[in-house]
Amino acid sequence: MKYEIVDGSEGPTLMLRDQLNFADREPFDTMTDKLFARRSRIVAIDLSGLDYMDSAGLGMLLSLRERADKAGVDVQLQRPKGEVRELLALACFDTLFTVSHE
Amino acid sequence: MPGENLDRARPTRALVVDDERLNRQLITANLRTTGYETVEAEDGLAAWEILDCDPAGFDVILLDRRMPRMDGLALLARLKADENLCDIPVIMQTAFATEEDVAEGMKAGVYYYLAKPLDRRLLLSVVAAAVTERQRWRRLRRDLDRRATAVTLMERGRFRFRTLAEAETLAVALASACPRSRFLVVGLAEIFTNAVEHGNLGIAAEEKERLIAEKRWAGEIEARLDAPQYRDKRVTVEVERAGGEMRFTVCDEGTGFDWRTFVDLDPRRAFLASGRGIAVARRFCFDTVAYRDPGNEVVCTLRCDGEAAPLPVEVDILARRRAGHVAAAAPADGEDVRLARAMQVELLPRPEVLAAVRRRYGIAVSGFHEFSSDLGGDLWGIDPLDDRRLALWLADFSGHGVTAALNTFRMHALASHLEQARGRPAAFLGELNRRLAGALPIGQYATMLYGVLDLGAGGFSYAAAAAPPPMAVDIASLATRVGDGSGLPLGIAPGATYSERRLALQSGGVLFLASDALAENPREDGTSLGSAGARDLVRAGVAAHRGGSDVDTLLAPFLAAVRRPLRDDLTAVCCTWP
Repeated sequence: MKYEIVDGSEGPTLMLRDQLNFADREPFDTMTDKLFARRSRIVAIDLSGLDYMDSAGLGMLLSLRERADKAGVDVQLQRPKGEVRELLALACFDTLFTVSHE
Repeated sequence: MPGENLDRARPTRALVVDDERLNRQLITANLRTTGYETVEAEDGLAAWEILDCDPAGFDVILLDRRMPRMDGLALLARLKADENLCDIPVIMQTAFATEEDVAEGMKAGVYYYLAKPLDRRLLLSVVAAAVTERQRWRRLRRDLDRRATAVTLMERGRFRFRTLAEAETLAVALASACPRSRFLVVGLAEIFTNAVEHGNLGIAAEEKERLIAEKRWAGEIEARLDAPQYRDKRVTVEVERAGGEMRFTVCDEGTGFDWRTFVDLDPRRAFLASGRGIAVARRFCFDTVAYRDPGNEVVCTLRCDGEAAPLPVEVDILARRRAGHVAAAAPADGEDVRLARAMQVELLPRPEVLAAVRRRYGIAVSGFHEFSSDLGGDLWGIDPLDDRRLALWLADFSGHGVTAALNTFRMHALASHLEQARGRPAAFLGELNRRLAGALPIGQYATMLYGVLDLGAGGFSYAAAAAPPPMAVDIASLATRVGDGSGLPLGIAPGATYSERRLALQSGGVLFLASDALAENPREDGTSLGSAGARDLVRAGVAAHRGGSDVDTLLAPFLAAVRRPLRDDLTAVCCTWP
């Protein structure tokens, strides 16, 4: 997993790249800490650079959502592509997150 | 529950044996109004003739003590000597119950008593308790028959559990490792259950009696398991094989109880509907049962001479519920992982089960499972529902390692407790999801496909929770239809609902299910099949092998090319329609 946090006027956008899988558990948690330290009401996650995500990756998004719910933060998933988009559709993640394909 | 039999082939049936017609009619009338079928016999000999003709026809016997020709105790002796009849519970009716009478009946194998004159409420609760207990024992033994015996290699083990479902899973797994397992499974289940109910949850026998009568028992157990003062309490089981005996030391975190009145069935308690589990365990299942004061620790032993040479193994398989990611990082080597894997394999349908399915339904079912380098999170099952329907399912827990593996045991226990919804896929997933949502930590979930193969309707009705779609290939045209696996994963949102979908199957057609590892595991060349590649693999396999297609022939090209060890464990199931 590679990532970058870009601060915009409406809140931070997390740009995820390459893969999100089982091995990324710890870096993902560290990154989530940084993201929530911004104390924004909205957090966007841009998935357009993510080529692959496994079931553990879905689990990480769910952990992030749980934390966001507790903090009253709205999480938006943006521009999933290819397999990642298929996986999110398979798991009906549009019922858990705001997903925009833009 | 009245009116429902374990085999589902017929309602629960009672044999009422009494030489006084009025007594028989009184009992019969009461039982029939609550849904039991009844058959009457006027004495022991008549009862014996009825039972001898139809040994599988009865679930409970109500027996009068004094009768002409053959009295109650004489019939009882015959029953206990007959292997087909010995496990039918007998309820002794008696007008005078001295402690000597009860003790004599106990010796002959009577664990339930009813006082005359008859109290309607007590009649129904004692009959229900006897039938329920026997069904539970039969279910445990049926589970036992499905197990291989890898646990026989265990020399020493330490286990922790919390819920009644976990207690039963562990009882089955441990009993399969021991001699006299069909008796032992009942004994372990009774001792474990007692440790949860009376130990950790602090429900006294009298309270249980009342809760059962008010139909609040199951609800109260669930509520207490979730309550802050109880939910962190565990039962610890230490198993040791040494000096020709197996020793089970069971500790709960309760305050103990007055075990002396339970170790033998106290004649003063003989007329209650429950509270005989420990006495049963002691009399039939173990060689010794010794409680230590204050009663929250019990040591049960079983002689087992001449067993195979054991391996030195220590395993803590039912780890704490919230072990989370730390446990998942455990090393993937060594005896404990091998043992845990063997236990997981034991959860899968055995060849005898698949052979029985083929005989009964004409459906050829084959399954495949290969572990990744770690413990797996996959599980599949097939469960007959009636003469034309059987449930087929495949589940995959997120992640791998110990956490995912523990979840497969949890799933196995939960799935076997959802009897009501087994024929309705969407309802089944909804209920399973609700239960998992309360049990799984955040970030853990399962994907699952659960469906019913229906020979009458000619197809597979299923519901899905983020599972790879089922595929159906027509044997003649090779037309391949891919179903829809979308749905919220299990264990995330308690209120999630699922929809029922259908794949029609023609004669000779092939139905194929696989975990996501088929599409996602990288091959030696670094690429993976993807969902389109998985579909092409199955279609090409059926084209090449036609009626000879099974899971091994269909997967062969993939297994030859995949990189090992697998990144994620692979499970696949293939069914050929008759």
